[in-house]
Order: sequence, then structure tokens, then C-alpha cells
Amino acid sequence: MNFWDLIAIQPMTNILIALSHYLSDNFGLAIIALTIIVNLCLLPLTLKQLRSSKAMQDLQPKIAELQKKYAKDKQKLAEEQMRLYKESGMSPAGCLIPMLIQLPIWIALYQSIIRLLAITPEDFLGLSKYLYPWPIVYSTLPVGSKFLWLNLAVPDQTFLLAVFVGGAMWVQQKMVMTSNADPKQQSQNQMMLWMMPIIFAMITLSVPSGLALFWMTSSVLRVIIQYFISGWGGLVSARATKQVSRDKRYKERIAQVEEAPLEGDVLSADIVEPSPAQKEGMSYGESGDKRQDRRGSYPTRLRTTRAQPRRSKGHRHKRR
Amino acid sequence: MWIRQNKLLLGKILLLLGIIFVVMSGLTAFGCVGRGTTPIGWSGVAIVDDALFLGSKGGKLVALDISTHNRLWPDISLETSKPSGGFGCAPSSATAAVIYGTPVVAGDLVYVGSYDGKVHAISSSTGVKRWVHPLEGNLKPIVGGLLVSQGKVYFGCSDGKVYALHADTGDPEWESPFQTGDKVWSTPAIDDDTLFVGSFDKKLYAIDAKDGRKRWEFEAEGAIASTPFIYNNTVYIGSFDKHLYAVNATDGSLKWRSRVEAGNWFWTSPIAYNDVIYAGCVDGKVYILDAESGHEVVSAIDLESPIYSSPVLVDNSIIIASEEGKIHSLNTDSNQIRQLASVEADTYAPLMASDGVVYIHTQNKEGLYALNAQTGVILWNLSLSSE
Repeated sequence: MNFWDLIAIQPMTNILIALSHYLSDNFGLAIIALTIIVNLCLLPLTLKQLRSSKAMQDLQPKIAELQKKYAKDKQKLAEEQMRLYKESGMSPAGCLIPMLIQLPIWIALYQSIIRLLAITPEDFLGLSKYLYPWPIVYSTLPVGSKFLWLNLAVPDQTFLLAVFVGGAMWVQQKMVMTSNADPKQQSQNQMMLWMMPIIFAMITLSVPSGLALFWMTSSVLRVIIQYFISGWGGLVSARATKQVSRDKRYKERIAQVEEAPLEGDVLSADIVEPSPAQKEGMSYGESGDKRQDRRGSYPTRLRTTRAQPRRSKGHRHKRR
Repeated sequence: MWIRQNKLLLGKILLLLGIIFVVMSGLTAFGCVGRGTTPIGWSGVAIVDDALFLGSKGGKLVALDISTHNRLWPDISLETSKPSGGFGCAPSSATAAVIYGTPVVAGDLVYVGSYDGKVHAISSSTGVKRWVHPLEGNLKPIVGGLLVSQGKVYFGCSDGKVYALHADTGDPEWESPFQTGDKVWSTPAIDDDTLFVGSFDKKLYAIDAKDGRKRWEFEAEGAIASTPFIYNNTVYIGSFDKHLYAVNATDGSLKWRSRVEAGNWFWTSPIAYNDVIYAGCVDGKVYILDAESGHEVVSAIDLESPIYSSPVLVDNSIIIASEEGKIHSLNTDSNQIRQLASVEADTYAPLMASDGVVYIHTQNKEGLYALNAQTGVILWNLSLSSE
């Protein structure tokens, strides 16, 4: 047995067996329980990682500004970015280090589950080398592979688990996703939001259900932890963000209309020259309720524009 | 131009492809490939007259002439369906027709069960398939060996059932298979008209061989995968709970449970000789117990390597193979052990002896060794991996 097996795989394997014993010989519950225990043990690291990620996201507008400002001077950009990180008291590796520490533990858990599922007789025999001399370990083996509708040793044929794994991952991704004013960036985020859950859902169809159960439990736990860090995040702010961006676009359009040169006599005829006193109170580009000359309503041309059906694809795309 | 404009998008796509690659590599390196998810098989050897039969690593039935070492007929593949794909963790194993149980020869037929859940009857002289059960579809994996007795073929299956088939036709003999509570990887044993078989549900069952009805059951504290050994109206069996059991064959009452606790599972079948039980254990020791009382006759002998291969009795010596391929001879008179030879390959298959020669089928470097049981001289060996 090598060092890795001794310090990581063997303890996890035996704990899983013991948990299975105490949870009515239910290996599915044992997987869920150990995933929860490992998550709790790693909670300080997870919190650190999530907080670092959040701090990094908060810095994004400033970083974007720097990128714009020093677009042609890469070295200066790097220096300024480092200075920004220093001033904010955070390190770019802040979210990587906890992740690197957690990774071996997740791999150990993953390997232990695979070993215990002992898909082939050779796997099963190999398991005998990993057992502690605890009586319950010997009386519990082989672990039962039935859990709910699942056979944990084979892929789920009903697609339900794949949907759950993909769904849990989507929710988790959506929560950490931040809104971005740049439509290109936004569409890329959307792609990431969908691609990862789809990939994992597809992999779920090919791996033993026990593993997929571990993935799903991990994702659900991450959702819960994320909720306590930043609330529902992207899940609930998506609607609010839509509203804000709609208002913003609308204001931009008003400004465009107001700034556009007037065409022909017909339009000129409509214009009533305001008095100097009225001019002072005018604020072009502000919303219509401040416009005394139109009695608080929107400009006529804008009303026409507003009433137009949203036909163009481009427009619909922007509103998303 | 487009590339320049969408540099960020391309970066993300590359990142995504990278993540997919890492996930797939992770599955391959850390969980699936190399962990034995591809079944290999550990069939023992069957010998009748000058013919030798075994299931090779690739799931083929091999027939050899012992004197010339030539094939009696071309190796027969038992594969009836293509293995499924997946990302390496998928149980493609479920359809792989590898052979774990030792073939059995009775009359002019060789019987063999395969991991894809089929039982095959093949002519021992021509290699032509006589029948296969079931004709359509598959049972769950068959890991234990078959038992042929009184015109019937008995075997246990991973679906938790024990089946009885007509030896000539392959038709079911019982009204319905005997149902246990978990997988049956144990090879059945028979005494008169009672069939004994262990199950992963921790029970040893005595079944009426004629109709498949239960006579009694005995519950151990751990799963049972080893083949029961019947001696003096007592069934001896090892369990995963690190103990050996002696059970009365008539009524299933416990005669004794070994007082000494082993360091690991009892996987192999014990052997009884001169009122002494010899049992190899996965902890690498051979336990020597009194057949009547279960007391240790002498302290366990440590071979320093797990024992997965069932031992064999040759004259008054027990021949035992350890996992690392060291072959030992235990003298039953003096209880002294000596190393006969080393084949330097993983050995899981049960040993077979005939005319003072021990046959060893090794797994990782697949080969067949013929060993003189007295001198330990390797008479001949044959590599099966390149065939």
C-alpha cells in the first residue's frame, strides 16, 4: 500500500463502511453523510475560497477600468493590477490555495467510493487490503448498492440523476454568476452557465450512480454554503438586473432621441420655443416627468418608438 | 478579424475544453482505469484424462493436450454481446464474457459459466457448443463455479439466485430458482441430495437438490463467498467476519465457530484431512484447526502474502499458493511448510492437482504452470497471454 492509500484512501474507505453500518447498511446515505462531514471539515477553507472569489469579483470593474486605461501597456497593466490587489488586501492566489488543499481530499473521497462499489470481482478482492481491523467493517461488507431507485454500482438508466446533477450544478453556477453590462461577456457567462451542468449530466449517464450521488450532494452543499455567503446571488438578482438594464437602455434611447437633429418643417412646427425660465428647468436626457413642455409625458416621437413591436432579433437578444 | 474580436470567447471555449479534459483525465487517472473495472477472470483448471480445460483472461475457453501442450481445438470465445462503452467507470464489465469459475467436465461436455451471465455446454472433443442458458438475454454475472451432479448443473449468480439446469439440454430443472438475499459468488457443494451454498447475505443454505426447496439456513456474521467443504457430515465454511464455521450438515446447527480471529476474510475453500481443517486466509496465514472442536492444532503459518487461491491436497501435503505466486507445500503429518517454487505472477485461480502434478493458472502475466508436487520442479509452463 502506498503513502497516498495509507493516509487518504484507507481512512475514507473504512469510515464509509462504518457509516454505512450505522445508517442501516445504506451505502447511499453513507456517501451523503461523508460528503457532508468532509464539507464541514473543509468549511473554513471553502469560506475563504468563496470570500476571495467574491472579493475578486468586486474588483472586476476596477480591473476593467485598468485594462481599458492600459490597453497598450501590458507591463503597466500588470503593475497596476498588482497594486490594486495589494491595496485591497487580497492575493490573486487567495481562491486557488484553498481549492488546491481541498482537491486531494475530494479525490480521496471519489476513489474510496469507487473502491467500495467494487464493480468487478477483482475490485472486490482488492478492497480486502484497505480494511481496518474493526469488527463492523467486516460484518458490513459488501456494502449494499441499492439506494432509492438507484443501483449505485451502475449508471442510472432513468436520466433522473443526470437531471438532478445538472440542475444542482446549474443553480450553484447561477448563484456565483455576476451580472455584466458587456453583452459579449454576458453571453459567454451564459455559455459557461449551461455547458458545465450539461457536461456533468452527460458524464453522469456513464459513471456509477454512487459517484453521481457524491457530485450531486457536493453541489447541493455548495449551494447552501454559497447562500450563507452571498444569498441567492445571481439566482434572484437576475430579474432585478433585467429591470435595471431595461431602464438604462430606455434612458439611453431617450438621450439619443433628444440629441438627434430635428428633421423637416413638420417637426419644427411642433416645437414651441421655451422661455428662458423654462430652459433653466429643462434637463435633456432625464425622464419625461420633468419635461413641462410635454406635461410629464414622453416625447411624441419616443412614444411612437416605444409602441413599436419588438421585432428585431438583436433587440430581443439585448433584453435577455 | 473574427478571431481578434472574439478573443475572450475563444479563451472561454478553450478553458471549457480544458475543464472537460481535466474531468475526463481525472476520471481515468483517479477512479476508473487501472482500478480493475475491466474484469479479467481467474478460472481454475479442469483435467480429464489427457485433456486440460481453463478459461483464459480474454474470456476464451482453452482446451489443451497435457502431453503435447497443443490446443485440442481453437480457443472458443464465450462473448455473445459487445461490451458497452462509457468513460472508463461505466460497468462495461456487465457484458464482458470473462470466466471466473473453473470449467467442469462431465460426460462429453465441458460446462462453464461466464461473467456476462450465461452458462455454456461445449463438446469436450470437438469444441462445438451444445447449448447455452439462457438462450435470449443474460443473467447477472456468474462469478462462482458450476457443480455438475446427477445429471444437473448447479450454480449461483449475482442476482442472488441458485439455478439448476438439465445437464444435457440446459433446461431449468426446478420450478423456480432458489432465491437468497444477496449475490451468490460461492461455488455450490453437494452431499447426497443436499446442495450447500453460501451467499453475500451472510447465510449458508442447504437446498434440496431435486426441487430447489430450502432445508435449512445458517447465518454467519459476515458475507460468505467461499465454497463449502463437506467432511464427516459437517459443512466447513469461511466468512468475511474473519472466522471459520463448522455447521451440522443435517440440521444446520452450529458445531463451532473458530475461536481464533483471523486478520482478514476467508475467501478460499478450506480443506479437511485426517480430522484437521486447513484454511488459507486473505491475511496471508494458513489456519490449522481441529475439525471436531475448532481449536488451533498449531499456530497459524504466515505466508506473508494474501491467499486467494483455493489449496489442493496431494498425497499427504496441502499445496497452497499465495497472491504473489509463491507455491508452498504443507506437510500434514508435521505441519511444516516449505516453499516449492515461485511463479512470480499474481495467483487467484484455484489450484488443481492430477497424478502428482499441480497446475497453476496465473493472472497478471497470464500463464499455465505444471509443477511437480514433491520436488517443486516446474515441469512446463505455457504463456496464454499471446495466444
